[in-house]
Amino acid sequence: MIQREIEMLGIPTVLITVVPQESAVNHPPRAIHPVGFPIGNPLGKPHRTEVQRAVLLDALKQFEVLNMPGKILDRHIAP
Amino acid sequence: MSRMSKKCVPYTPFTGKLSEATVALVSTAGVHRKDQPAFHPDGDPTYRIIPGDTDTRELMATHGHYDTTDANTDINCVFPLDRLRELAAEGTVGGVGNKHIGAMGFSMKLKQMYEEVAPAIAKEVERSSADLVVLTGG
Repeated sequence: MIQREIEMLGIPTVLITVVPQESAVNHPPRAIHPVGFPIGNPLGKPHRTEVQRAVLLDALKQFEVLNMPGKILDRHIAP
Repeated sequence: MSRMSKKCVPYTPFTGKLSEATVALVSTAGVHRKDQPAFHPDGDPTYRIIPGDTDTRELMATHGHYDTTDANTDINCVFPLDRLRELAAEGTVGGVGNKHIGAMGFSMKLKQMYEEVAPAIAKEVERSSADLVVLTGG
């Protein structure tokens, strides 16, 4: 709901989700799902800075590519 | 303005360059500063404004619906502010927002409250320097 409201004000958004079934209910404008990352660790484990960076970069990349609004993209990022 | 169907997906195209854009974080992982009131673990419709210059060691996560151990070891697991700052320093993104938002996310029983809070959070973001927003849950 928050994401929809921000997008409606004209600010592009992207969601990083590890609960894609729940997130799908809200039809997010842009969303990635790092496959295999558990609840509590959407960007990976503590101090795994390369993984955190990779997930964040993948999310940010969604602003630069063609999107399918409402679709959550499964992304295979090494944990 | 008429209410949009839930099947309709709002979408604002991004026509700029990531390297010139200011990015803010909005979290529903219960992130807040240690000097701010904690969220109620059972569910809490309030939100916290996290100033853009906050040291990440001053951040913590309070949430009843996921294990916050890793988030409280390294907040970047759920709120990648240090990573975002690094991307800004190297020029991959244009800048880091002057404020970020921490909230708890929604449970169905509090849905009505959140329908009022979500627009308020969006307004905070609109009033900030953010051009783009990355949202994370727990």
